Amino acid sequence: MRLIKQNIEKKDGSGSATLLPEEPEDMWHAYNLIRPTDLLRASALRRITTESATGSTSSQRVQTTLTLRVTKLDFDPQASQLHVSGTVAEENKYVKLGGFHTLDLELQRNFTLTKADGWDSVALAQLRESIDQTKKAVCWAVVMQEGLANICLITEYQTILRQRVEVSLPKKRGTGKSSDHEKAVQRFFHTVLETLLRQLDLANSPASPVLLASPGFTATSFQSYIKSAASSSTPGIDVKTLKALLPQLLVAHSASGYLHSLAEVLASPAVTAKLSDTKFARETQLMDRFYELLRKDDGRAWYGPREIERAVEKGAVGRGGGVLLISNSLFRSQDVAVRRRWVTLVDKVKDDEGGEVRILSSVHESGKRLEGLGGVAAILTFPIEDLDDMGGEEGGEDVEEDEVVQPEVEGVEGRETIHEEFEI
Amino acid sequence: MQRVKNVDYDEDDLYDDDEEYGEESDDRDSEQNRSSFAELTPVVRAELEEAGVQASDKAIEDALWNSFWDVGKSVVFLKDRNAPRQTPKKQEKAKSKFDQAAERSAKETGGSSKLAKLAEERRKKAAATAAGGSSTDSELSSLDRLTKPKDSKENDAPSSVAEPRKYPIRKKREPTPPPKEPTPPPPTEPEEEKPDLRASPTAFARTLSTHPVQGRKVTAPALADLLGTEQSEDPFKGPSPDDTVLKAQQRSKGRSLSKQTEALKLDSQSTQATIRSKGLDVPKLWAEEKAKRKPAAAFVVIGHVDHGKSTLMGRLLLDAGAVSQRDVNKYQKQAAEMNKSSFALAWVMDTGDEERERGVTFDFAQHHFSTPKADFTILDAPGHRDFVPNMIGGASMADMAVLVVDANQLESGMKGQTKEHILLAKAVGLKKVVVAVNKLDAANPAWSQDLFEQVQADVRKLLLDSAFAEQDIKFVPCSGLGGANVVNAPKASSPAAWVSKAHFTLLQALERSIPPRIADQEVIRQPLRMQIVDVFRGGVTNPVSIAGRISSGSVQIGDIVTVRPSGEKATIRAIDVLDEAKDYAVAGQICSLHLSDIEAQHLRSGDLVCSLQHPVHGRRSVVLLIDVLEPLLPQPVDVHVGRLHVPATISQLVETVDGKGEQLKRRPRLLKAGQRARIKVSFEGSVPLVVGERVIVRTAGVTAAHGTVE
Repeated sequence: MRLIKQNIEKKDGSGSATLLPEEPEDMWHAYNLIRPTDLLRASALRRITTESATGSTSSQRVQTTLTLRVTKLDFDPQASQLHVSGTVAEENKYVKLGGFHTLDLELQRNFTLTKADGWDSVALAQLRESIDQTKKAVCWAVVMQEGLANICLITEYQTILRQRVEVSLPKKRGTGKSSDHEKAVQRFFHTVLETLLRQLDLANSPASPVLLASPGFTATSFQSYIKSAASSSTPGIDVKTLKALLPQLLVAHSASGYLHSLAEVLASPAVTAKLSDTKFARETQLMDRFYELLRKDDGRAWYGPREIERAVEKGAVGRGGGVLLISNSLFRSQDVAVRRRWVTLVDKVKDDEGGEVRILSSVHESGKRLEGLGGVAAILTFPIEDLDDMGGEEGGEDVEEDEVVQPEVEGVEGRETIHEEFEI
Repeated sequence: MQRVKNVDYDEDDLYDDDEEYGEESDDRDSEQNRSSFAELTPVVRAELEEAGVQASDKAIEDALWNSFWDVGKSVVFLKDRNAPRQTPKKQEKAKSKFDQAAERSAKETGGSSKLAKLAEERRKKAAATAAGGSSTDSELSSLDRLTKPKDSKENDAPSSVAEPRKYPIRKKREPTPPPKEPTPPPPTEPEEEKPDLRASPTAFARTLSTHPVQGRKVTAPALADLLGTEQSEDPFKGPSPDDTVLKAQQRSKGRSLSKQTEALKLDSQSTQATIRSKGLDVPKLWAEEKAKRKPAAAFVVIGHVDHGKSTLMGRLLLDAGAVSQRDVNKYQKQAAEMNKSSFALAWVMDTGDEERERGVTFDFAQHHFSTPKADFTILDAPGHRDFVPNMIGGASMADMAVLVVDANQLESGMKGQTKEHILLAKAVGLKKVVVAVNKLDAANPAWSQDLFEQVQADVRKLLLDSAFAEQDIKFVPCSGLGGANVVNAPKASSPAAWVSKAHFTLLQALERSIPPRIADQEVIRQPLRMQIVDVFRGGVTNPVSIAGRISSGSVQIGDIVTVRPSGEKATIRAIDVLDEAKDYAVAGQICSLHLSDIEAQHLRSGDLVCSLQHPVHGRRSVVLLIDVLEPLLPQPVDVHVGRLHVPATISQLVETVDGKGEQLKRRPRLLKAGQRARIKVSFEGSVPLVVGERVIVRTAGVTAAHGTVE
């Protein structure tokens, strides 16, 4: 995203910023920046219905710039689209004050954002992050097992399931060669490769690394299938683009073909060698360390909102190894008080205690793991026992997935998903 | 301009169409025609008398002449002589009674309109050409029609004035049969026609023709005269245009198609007949045949990778006579070519190319063999840690376990899958275990009794720690590759001679370990539950087949079952148990069900087949009571229920409990190994789970917990 202009007062955080989203991932940043009650000024398509004197109506669509008081945000990670709903805050010749409108933010079109209760430290950090122009690492991953392949795109902030291929494979049967099974596996590989190539769109975008991960030998077999496909003409597959793909392939191990094994894949040495220094590499590392400490149960790793707040109060998340891991979904809360609670916590750790704060993307793999723990976790500088037993019976809070973005679920909707299984 | 012209031309062309038969033979007094008159006049008269209409011979002859010997039309013509629109048509060779009836009915419903006449005309032409042996292109191309001679006679008919011009254009594409015809009449030979037959039409034909004609005679002419069209009649009385078109298509495709359709109908009937349920009382039958049956058991072969599971089973099958020496020799040769001659026996079980190439079993293989004393099903599980999900699938179908340990490499297995497999075997509910201490011939010294004793002690400890009962464990020293003490006891002269003194062979041990089927009758009377382990193509006659072990209830040919979670229904077409066709199968048996009325895409391995009356409902989240083996947090996990492998998330650690299920701590932060706890697990979709089902929870390729659904 490019910052076009800004007039934010350092002191009270008032003012606005004008931004230009340039690539799909910028929509994700916008989703985290824009909150309900903010003022958003952006171009929109509005359908105007006019009624003539005789009572006949005609409608036309006009391009106009609207200023909205945001009421709701809806992010579609598959298409990287952000729908913003709100009430019109500035009248113009097409719309009345207080009218409702939902607009899609568009790439290459400026939008101006004014924070209702000022730009707080987290918002500013997010703004800084979003306008960082350094080239971002992008890679693809195919997490597979026999009969199942999840093709996903891994960017700095998101892991997006782009396509799931699910095929029912017959098992090997009886003695002798099980040709049905072999044939089905070949057909499965063909489908996965075709789907992958369609997703990669090699003709229009430079090749990025493609991780093939599976338990057993499926990924290796798939790699050799791609190699053989590249050396012979396979119907429906362009050999030239395939040759460009070959050097980008990377085989890794995963415990299963399901998406949550991606964490293991991203932590594997083959991957970290290629993708080190990225934001998510560091976050995955921190999450692993947290899990490890938690397993040891030495009182230095805690999770859950109440526990962490208590730990911060006690000054346990400070200089010398204190790390606060917090999911950005917490800042997306509709409730201003809830957001303020977390912003205060972050400010306290960062400014007063000197600890490290990591805001994890809720749609990234490490962030998803954190979501499971209630969205907030910490590695303490000194062990504290029984944080959960202090002050009442209620220990960890329920992990309810209310407003958490679930890309898997959205992946199902309307997308071309091969042999997707629907529940009844 | 050109376009408009064409349209006009088309319409003209349409009217021409009626007149194309105008120039038929004028020679009314020819010998042949005379005899035709003589033959047909009485017939027409009979029909007319029946309808209470008087007509002179001359009039009948005229009508017949004009209608080109069509008795039915002549009759209608004479009846409706007052209505000028009812100009009789000609050109009909097939004069079946059915046709007559149909035409008559057509006449008085929609048939009297110009449009229907046109359509009928064309149809008849088509039928005529078909009968004449020429090509059955009933849909006359415009070009053909252009060449026909014009005749303006037809245009004199008054009804054509109000004819909506659009309809003819449309109809031109589809020769339309008489609209109210219920089914295309089966073509009958015109020669077989008998006057007396025609004289007394069936009730069917009468309903079709006579009554509406009379009804219309009262009202329709007046209306039609007023409006000049039949449109005033109930527009929905006749069949819809779509029906008309469909019928026309059906008709125009000729007799061969209708015959085919007929054949198809018969076919589907016969299919239904074959899968009609015999209505067997399966539990009773099962109990009655109990005496005749040999004991049967399925055993899963478990153990660490490369400890020789597949080879041992290859040996067992070979020596038990289930696999011919010739096949094994063939494998031997092929394996030698790949420098893997020691894998030849394993190839009996490992049939996949990849499996053979890498020398590792990927998925469990299933094989039946019989001894004089019992029927066995081998489920040869993979030992590699990545394929533990497949091992769970195999173990969940078994009645007992054969644990294979490499006497020389006990350590690797103790840390690896020997231990994990023992845990999993216990977790899926297996009680009896036969431990095959393998590769004793490769020990140093060969067949060292000390080594065997030592391995026996270690493994026994592990099994006892995993809550197997002492009396359920049997140890067998053996060599899969050499074949000693598998089926045949080693020779007295060999270093393994000590074995036969104190130990059974593997086969004997298996026969002695067959667990009794507990509460057989009770389980069989429960509703049907079978987890699908494999979906495959059972052959040309059985395109959709599934395999699995029936966990409760029974199934017989003709039963209708439902598959969860897809909710689709299927009919059981055939049942195979132990590779033999059977009429029914009961709980505890591993069987193949050949299905019909379902698409393979609705079936996945791991799905549940249930009886229609008592289906299992899918659940999005369940509470599990688990024994924890690895630390657990609220985190994503893999949940295994037999062959079913689904991703899930632990959404809540509900409580830790003691041995009796009493709460120890509410909402623990972390579950540690050795604890017993309740956890809440949520799935992405809905999963068919029954209370009490055995569940295994794995994470990152490690078994983390096992337990049951609450």
